[in-house]
Amino acid sequence: MLIPGGVLLVAIILIPLIIGIWMSLLNLSQYTIRQWLAAPFVAFQNYVVVVTQTQFFQSLGVSIGFAVVATVCSVPIGVAAAVVTHNSFRGRAVVRSIFLVPYVIPSFVVATIWRTIMQPGGVWTGMLTSFGVKSSLWLNGPNAFWTLVIVEIWASWPFIYLLTLAGMQTIEHQVFEAAAIDGVTWGRQLRSIVFPNIGGPLALACVVSVLNHINNFTLPYVLFGIPAPDNVQTLPFLTYIQSFTVFRFGLGAATAVLSLVLLAIPLIVYLRMVRLDVGKES
Amino acid sequence: MTSDSFTARDRRRATAGIAVLVPVWLRTVIIVVILVIIALPMMFVVFGSVNSDLGVASGEYFPSSFTLVNYAKIWTTVGLAKGMVNSIIVAGSTAVVATAIATVSAYVLVRFTFLGRSTVLRSMLILQSIPGTLLVLPLFVVFSSFTTYIGVQVIGTRWGLFITYLTFALPFATWVMVTYLRGLPRELEEAARMDGASNVRIVRQVILPLSWPGIVVAGIFSFLLGWNDVLFASVMTNSDTQTVSIALNIFSASQSGGSLPLYGQLMAASLICAAPVVILYLCLQRWLVGGLTAGSVK
Repeated sequence: MLIPGGVLLVAIILIPLIIGIWMSLLNLSQYTIRQWLAAPFVAFQNYVVVVTQTQFFQSLGVSIGFAVVATVCSVPIGVAAAVVTHNSFRGRAVVRSIFLVPYVIPSFVVATIWRTIMQPGGVWTGMLTSFGVKSSLWLNGPNAFWTLVIVEIWASWPFIYLLTLAGMQTIEHQVFEAAAIDGVTWGRQLRSIVFPNIGGPLALACVVSVLNHINNFTLPYVLFGIPAPDNVQTLPFLTYIQSFTVFRFGLGAATAVLSLVLLAIPLIVYLRMVRLDVGKES
Repeated sequence: MTSDSFTARDRRRATAGIAVLVPVWLRTVIIVVILVIIALPMMFVVFGSVNSDLGVASGEYFPSSFTLVNYAKIWTTVGLAKGMVNSIIVAGSTAVVATAIATVSAYVLVRFTFLGRSTVLRSMLILQSIPGTLLVLPLFVVFSSFTTYIGVQVIGTRWGLFITYLTFALPFATWVMVTYLRGLPRELEEAARMDGASNVRIVRQVILPLSWPGIVVAGIFSFLLGWNDVLFASVMTNSDTQTVSIALNIFSASQSGGSLPLYGQLMAASLICAAPVVILYLCLQRWLVGGLTAGSVK
């Protein structure tokens, strides 16, 4: 049974990966795609075009900004949620279940809901107006980037919460008791007991979050649709547009390969962290 | 009270009041704020699904009129029913096949030592992290060249989607089963083997009955992978084989048209698409949380 599984993995992941790299060196358009094996070889020309003539660097900036801001903003929410549900109280199980609901709702549904909420003249602008903020466009124009960030935070902070909670459960209860008996204030307890102990899981959570944010295609695609404003075209989205909207497959493949370079940074950090875990277990 | 009966649990209960980490008032404020932020958009979906399109478009949170007609209309407007059937077929068969392969593979990986075992485990982790956007274009090209070179149509069929989801589900499902089977005591199998049970019989009568919680988790996450996917479904399906996510997205896309968008139906359909997933998770929460931490859902 290992063999059919292995064959599938090679056929569907490894071979396309190699083909993808090869395709980025070909001049592929909707005219040459049918006979793509015979498409003209243009070496690194696609890469030159991607870097000089497309909005690659803007997308790179959008991707990095989106991933970092969404992760950084999720951390305080996730940690606060984990800290306040640490001690048991009546109804804690229910609260903990509800905390996870935004995370388990499928991405395409989250995006559809927020697309409706944030439409011009919808409830979002109505709410902002009642707070005295005048704005109308959230699915277009300069605010679109922040729409993407806000929705991503709403949907993904429970991941940080989950891993923080797991980290806090490793702290012995006696430590808190001892601190309480010594009259240590809660702020000090947080700083001296909780934060040092959740560092490891939280770091892992941040790395995985950055990876997930960078790879998130569904959210911008469903939230804004095509054509999408420039400031929400993350790298996966740009790759998709170049391949399946403009039909410049060679450029799409080159963009995909270049985004792998960006992805490699958090990916290597993540694999390092996980590899340690595997080593300990086996 | 003697020291014998004063267990750790009693002590925790007795000192629970002393060692409250955050003051109760602050705790209450934070919990309420988070719950409200979660609930507001979700209740909007419920209210919007019984509201008129005009009501949602004009920014009403609470509906000014009440109607259930949206729930009747969604099934035919953009073929949501067809999408659901397609999704259930593709994601369901992905779940069954992926879990079956993963369980047997994991058993082999856990119980037998062979050359390259740790390489297999490690490469599964790496394969799991390769993003779909990198593979969708070459996979699309490979599948369409089947039509050109061999004459077999893959794009637009459920088979193409099934094979793709199966591949992406396998590494994670295997990983789940490996971590689960690792926890089962080897002695049970040894006892069965002493009694003369064959390998097949050991798997069927000892391993399977003990590992069903792991199997359920692997199955559900494989199913969700197919149910939640937009990327592959958007390029590999046509109007007959579209999945539920694509059907819902067609609702959104119809917003760009000139007439009033079908907001009421859109909200009703969103609720229908999310409900099975949320209910499934709430029911099987205890087993699923471990999988969520592994970051597989999205």
